[in-house]
Amino acid sequence: MISRYTAEIGSATLTAGLGLAAVVGALEFGIGWGDAGPEPGAFPFYIGLLVVAASIGTLIQATVGRHGLQSVFLHKEEAKRVASFFLPMLAFVVVGRLLGLYVATALYLAFVMSVQGKYRLVISIASGIAAAVIFYFVLEVAFQVPLLKGPLEAALGLY
Amino acid sequence: MENFASLLHGFGVALTTYHVMLMMIGVLLGILVGVLPGLGAPNGVSLLLPLTFTMDPVAAIILLTSMYWGALFGGSTTSILFNIPGEPSSVATTFDGYPMARQGQATQALTLAFLSAGFGALVGVILITVLSTWVAKFALRFSSPEYFAVYFLAFASFIGLGTASPFKTIVSMGLGFAFAAVGMDTVSGGLRLTYGFNELLSGISFLIAVIGLFGIGELMLTMEEGLRFDGIRARVKIRDVFRTIATLPRYWVTLLRSAAIGCWMGITPGGPTAASFMSYGLAKRLSRRKEGFGRGEPEGVVAPETADHAAGSSAILPMLALGVPGSATAAVMMGGLMIWGLNPGPMLFVERPDFVWGLIASMYLGNIVAVLMVLATIPLFASILRIPFAIIGPVIVVVCFIGAYTVAGRPFDLWLALAFGVVGYLFKKLNYPIAPLVLAMVLGDKAEDAFRQSMIMSRGSLSIFWSNGLVTTLLLIGLALAFGPLLSSALGRLMKPKASSAVA
Repeated sequence: MISRYTAEIGSATLTAGLGLAAVVGALEFGIGWGDAGPEPGAFPFYIGLLVVAASIGTLIQATVGRHGLQSVFLHKEEAKRVASFFLPMLAFVVVGRLLGLYVATALYLAFVMSVQGKYRLVISIASGIAAAVIFYFVLEVAFQVPLLKGPLEAALGLY
Repeated sequence: MENFASLLHGFGVALTTYHVMLMMIGVLLGILVGVLPGLGAPNGVSLLLPLTFTMDPVAAIILLTSMYWGALFGGSTTSILFNIPGEPSSVATTFDGYPMARQGQATQALTLAFLSAGFGALVGVILITVLSTWVAKFALRFSSPEYFAVYFLAFASFIGLGTASPFKTIVSMGLGFAFAAVGMDTVSGGLRLTYGFNELLSGISFLIAVIGLFGIGELMLTMEEGLRFDGIRARVKIRDVFRTIATLPRYWVTLLRSAAIGCWMGITPGGPTAASFMSYGLAKRLSRRKEGFGRGEPEGVVAPETADHAAGSSAILPMLALGVPGSATAAVMMGGLMIWGLNPGPMLFVERPDFVWGLIASMYLGNIVAVLMVLATIPLFASILRIPFAIIGPVIVVVCFIGAYTVAGRPFDLWLALAFGVVGYLFKKLNYPIAPLVLAMVLGDKAEDAFRQSMIMSRGSLSIFWSNGLVTTLLLIGLALAFGPLLSSALGRLMKPKASSAVA
């Protein structure tokens, strides 16, 4: 269980970190005045500072008003539901990088339908493959947009 | 009269079988993304955009704007039938639309929503027709400092008019600018902020950000809430439709007021969401039947819908004439224009009048097509939501990632979309506004260029921003918008203790 206060502090720290990253990154390219006006780092530098300042503002606001932020940010039940959605999605991206997006689509749809949708395995697998084939025809044939492919497509000679 | 002649010419451009067919496809796709949770107008347009890179710009923009209209209509449909807003801007429609549907008046609620939405959109388009040339001519006088002041004004109004904490708005906006700065620097041509990663050399596309923030983030939130569709069966009866049309003139005050609010919020970057809430609030306050609101008052459907669509269509005006989009979707479309090699802003009216007026004419036609199609296809789209989410959810996920990949064909973008999804989920839960981030990503380079060119013009002196009346006025309005609410609340706080002590 995470309280709203923790979540506010965590995300504000994260945004402050991103702002700081922009500041540090910008320093490398010069933030002063060059031959052609302001140097490339100037704009990101000040934007980064602005983000850091506003993040600190959020941190202060959250700390001052912490009594009002004791509500629950994420229940155990909600966290479980988000995780059960997020983890297969993460797996989809990983598999997509390795085996191509078509194979990943078929596997992902089949998995979610059978495990979370409680459909029969045969129906799930068939739907997954059907969806991948439909995507193939819409993208590669109709719009001629190539998608990330893997070893299976190579073996089938689909390029 | 000059505008009228141009408009007629525009109808000549837009009225071809091919374009009307594209409108119908666009509207259908739009209703689909509007109905489906997690897919809204901004990321629907983002997903479709890569497929239009090879099309003629006029045909492409017709397809995308029609999708926008369709998405707005689809969003209201789910609000009324399922109590689930398909779009953030149709949240206010659920307040009275769903109660109406529950009382067996689904057809009335839907018809009222579509017709008032169509009316709002029409007012927005008429406004564009009348004002666009004038605004564009005015903007021809702008040079870099004025442009920077206009961008400043746009972002300042987010801080001042937004409902979120000003700090969070600034964080969201600043991050958008920072993401836009990654990759090639448009002035010097050098690379920056890549931190040694080859993947970052070509920058971070705003389309990936939109797909992640709006699409995947929204889906995660939907999953967390444990989605259940308690839909109301809707069968649109023709007789009820006509009977409802006959009652529409009764709401003329609400219609006009809401359209005015919508146009104002659309032209300034307040956006359709703020417009619909404001319009609903005002309608409730000014209505004679206050107690009916929230329990199925038809006026409570008319007000937010009119404002939503008036804002949605008038948001195109500043995008076309100034190059400053008035909503997140308009920002995505403007990004598309730049990808097609068009430069949004006053010069577009001079260089590509066929494109501009073809687009404006297509907005008239597109909205009429949208109203007709949405009335005809509602039962079909409502039944899509009865498909279990275990099927729909993953399909939407797949579409989002495929869309992210097709933007540039880079595998790294898949990770980026996932990361933006997590950020979008967190931002939504913690009330960080997302639209400023998207707007900053699209406008980032232009705003920076304008700033740097101004600096070059003035040899590094900030005084160029109050060197003439125009730029000073723009900047002052921006400052007033950004700090006005802050000052008034601070003043209010200072006044309060005094007032209470006076009573004591």
